[in-house]
Amino acid sequence: MTTLRSLLAFGAVWLAALGHCASAQTVFSADIPILHEEAAAAGIDQSYTGGWEFFVGGGAASFDCNGDRLPDLVIAGGAGQAAFFVNESQTGGALAFKPLDTGLKPEDLTGVLGAYPLDIDNDRHMDLVLLRLGRNLVLKGGPDCQFEKANRSFSIDGGRAWSTGMSAIWEKGNRFPTIAIGNYVDRSAPGTPFGTCEPNQLLRPRAGDAPDYSDPMAPEPGYCALSLLFTDWNRAGQPDLRITNDRQYYRGGEEQLWQMSQGRAPRLYTASQGWQRLSVWGMGIAETDFDADGLPEYALTSMGDTKLQKLDEEAGEDRPTYRDIAFEKGATAHRPYAGGDPKPSTGWHSAFADFNNDTMTDLFIAKGNVQAMPDFASYDPDNLLLGGFDDTFHEKGAEAGIALNTRGRGAVVEDFNMDGMLDLLVVNREHPASLFRNLGAATDWGHRPLGNWVKIELDNGKINPAAVGSLISVRTGTRTQTRRIQIGGGHASGRTGFVHVGLGVSERATIRVQWPDGEWSHPYRVFANQHVRIIRGEANARYWYPAAQ
Amino acid sequence: MTNSSRRARWRRRLGSGALLLGQALVWGMAAPAVADEPWSERTQALGQIADMPSGTLSQDDLKRLTATGEALFSAHFTALDGVGRPQATQAIDPTRRKHPREQVFFRTAGPDAGSCAACHNQPAIGGAGDFVANVFASEGFESADFDSLDPQFSSERGTNHLFGAGLVELLAREMSLELQSVRSRALSEARATGSAVRLPLEAKGVDFGFISAEPDGSVNLDELDGVDTDLVIRPFSQKGVMTSLRQFTVNALNQHHGMQADERFGARWTGSDDFDGDGKSREISAADISAMVAWQATLTAPVQVIPVANGWSEAADRGETNFADFGCTVCHRPALPLESLSFADPGPFDLAGTLNDRQVASKSIYDIALLDWASNLPRDEEGRVLVPLYGDLKRHAMTDNQIDALGNELLSQRFVDRNIFQTAELWGVGSTQPYGHRNDFSTLDEIILAHGGNGRKARDAYAAASDAEKSALIAFLKTLVIVP
Repeated sequence: MTTLRSLLAFGAVWLAALGHCASAQTVFSADIPILHEEAAAAGIDQSYTGGWEFFVGGGAASFDCNGDRLPDLVIAGGAGQAAFFVNESQTGGALAFKPLDTGLKPEDLTGVLGAYPLDIDNDRHMDLVLLRLGRNLVLKGGPDCQFEKANRSFSIDGGRAWSTGMSAIWEKGNRFPTIAIGNYVDRSAPGTPFGTCEPNQLLRPRAGDAPDYSDPMAPEPGYCALSLLFTDWNRAGQPDLRITNDRQYYRGGEEQLWQMSQGRAPRLYTASQGWQRLSVWGMGIAETDFDADGLPEYALTSMGDTKLQKLDEEAGEDRPTYRDIAFEKGATAHRPYAGGDPKPSTGWHSAFADFNNDTMTDLFIAKGNVQAMPDFASYDPDNLLLGGFDDTFHEKGAEAGIALNTRGRGAVVEDFNMDGMLDLLVVNREHPASLFRNLGAATDWGHRPLGNWVKIELDNGKINPAAVGSLISVRTGTRTQTRRIQIGGGHASGRTGFVHVGLGVSERATIRVQWPDGEWSHPYRVFANQHVRIIRGEANARYWYPAAQ
Repeated sequence: MTNSSRRARWRRRLGSGALLLGQALVWGMAAPAVADEPWSERTQALGQIADMPSGTLSQDDLKRLTATGEALFSAHFTALDGVGRPQATQAIDPTRRKHPREQVFFRTAGPDAGSCAACHNQPAIGGAGDFVANVFASEGFESADFDSLDPQFSSERGTNHLFGAGLVELLAREMSLELQSVRSRALSEARATGSAVRLPLEAKGVDFGFISAEPDGSVNLDELDGVDTDLVIRPFSQKGVMTSLRQFTVNALNQHHGMQADERFGARWTGSDDFDGDGKSREISAADISAMVAWQATLTAPVQVIPVANGWSEAADRGETNFADFGCTVCHRPALPLESLSFADPGPFDLAGTLNDRQVASKSIYDIALLDWASNLPRDEEGRVLVPLYGDLKRHAMTDNQIDALGNELLSQRFVDRNIFQTAELWGVGSTQPYGHRNDFSTLDEIILAHGGNGRKARDAYAAASDAEKSALIAFLKTLVIVP
């Protein structure tokens, strides 16, 4: 009898444990996008190389340089030259790029850590900021992918720092953007590299008809920034500047949020204002707004845990106090999910996006050992954390095909072949960049398309034509998704162009835009699976179609 | 058989039934779960088609498939099938209810019918519905709990018939292709010339406004008329906002019965196999939907039958002439030409959430030409079938400042303003009274006189005609009937 009771008790415990496991493990039932690596076939052979100064960086920029609206590329080369590529992909077909000779001198293209596109002079040709080890280079874009150096004409002092990050925003009333440049270690300071972080640089335009940044500021302290992002964290309509910093080199530093006020020097938010000290090996910032409440969440990549920060409602909306929801959302991504290396991961670029068009927000993180740090995983595959309907993330990098043994750095999440499914470029250290084409979901007969989508391009008019700082609100049924048009964040990588939104099974969507000056548009009614152009002041949205092939 | 042997046999039956009931209880199921018995309260036709059909179906295969489709269309779905949606709304996009509902059926927000045929039954299964079978169109997002007939919450609509629906969808597909090819041509020319190009949008002779293309690949959609901005003709529903029989079937099964199709409400798109929370997972498979589509797509087309009554033939002839002379045919086109009778399912224009031809390994083809009734369809000199639908598959404004009876709704639907409706196809109108989108016009005379907006000119011509000429027109319209 005692034996029987023991058996029953054991059985009950076993069943309870089984039940617990079952309930803890939720099944991911949405589509897993198959990301097919085809960089070589697509004509992209570019590695990010170099010594210690290039352990960080390794970015890319995606933007249209020839007016066909297909995203073209520039990829940093570190000690090698940065390379430009013109997109020649067929709609929905294999990715194809052609190297572009810009005519720039090799010395201008070497030492590049990252790149961000930005139409500084509002001429509708995307300009480019190349972040370099040494003098940053500003390239003024022209028609047909022509570039000319514009540091002098824009009065931008490229400096001599080791620049690693950038963000830009049009401050209210300004004709030209404010540009923040993140700098890393001051290599010339005594005691370098530890405790010798270079101040960052803030470039505000002077009044006038042409860009003039001849009065730069150097907000201090700098804590070895690796990613910067102008962000309207409290939906005040006034973006502040968030900076993630590398604790490896700073002393007494922390993550930073700079309060931006018109015409005044930025001021750091302090503990008395609710800012809580956080010290991480900050590598990249990504912003999303899971519940479209106007209060964004942020992913901060680091060594070990990725942070996922949400404004703490208990602290009050106007106080920048954040709590970490990475664990509860399954987004810590602290160890490799494949390859068997049990050591902590090293995260770099991060980006929120909807890779499978199911309306749930996904998170991509580029991963890779700094170089050969023995305490961190050497085989450290990039993460594809797909958002599930259970409101948690599910790691599907292996199934998607991105679990490569490369040291990822910067990246661009972009629909390179204009089929509505997001593709992916990852810049790798000492290894050719990876270019993944999203084929859709695997079936036993091939690949099927994912959910519906819409891509949106804004036209804000003569000033800030690409509408940097705008908020796009996309409503389908009871669900609202938002996207903020930003230049900045990630790891040394930026993009501009159509903004992608997954629509799941929705056949149509209603779009409203909050323009950079805060004015809300009327609703635009659009159908799914369209490239949509919204031109400020026009009653109806326009559609755009790639050239027939 | 003696009484005692009958009793013994009855006891044996009871005994085996009790045994099955006992087994069912042991397995945690309710007694009626003995699903395969002929008297089961479960719909036997559900799941009868194991796999979606593919390739071109033979006449016999098509017959078998449509038989299942008809069984599903006429089935009274039950709790054992998954009827009801306690945790989901009627919305086309899967939407959770804010609060679970106690009742399975609910007249306004639905589910409001046990079967498709409960409404589509006039003059036969697949037909239209009387006023009592009106439904309530609502997006189902914001007012999921509405319990009022107040039109601020929903738009009351009559039930359309489905006869000839396969031909209607085929026409719409060909017209969509035609319109989209105009768009492509405009874009190519604009890109080639570096100048804006404005082209008339026309499909099967029906004018849909203009499209303007810019050299940069943009198209300006300001001058579209009666068609959605993606240039897809959506030929179903009073508004013309549903793309295909497949989409309409998936929508209606959820709205009217709470039977949720896997291809939209399944785990792929919602994370749950039981999104409506009624304890039944995977209620309607893609193959079930295919069977229902096949049956609807192959329903016979309405025809013209002149009753044997003194003077009707002559009156109808005169009425047909009047129909053209009054200008009715501007919208109620007597026939539209159709190139092909091959009905592909899933079709080309549905988007994710309704299966389309990119989402499956192989689509199935139902050759309508195999059906007896199809041989009677008229053809033009080019061999094209002339589909006698008396419609144009275009949306029109139906009200103006004086005549506004058809503008009685308060809600737009799927981007279409409240006074805009697709031209009602008049084939079968003689079998489907009452009339109008709300089914509240008891005579043809009343509904004709209710035409405002784009129909005003023809309406005025009718109104100005003599009683005899009006009567002739009615005589003609009453010859357009459904003969199942």
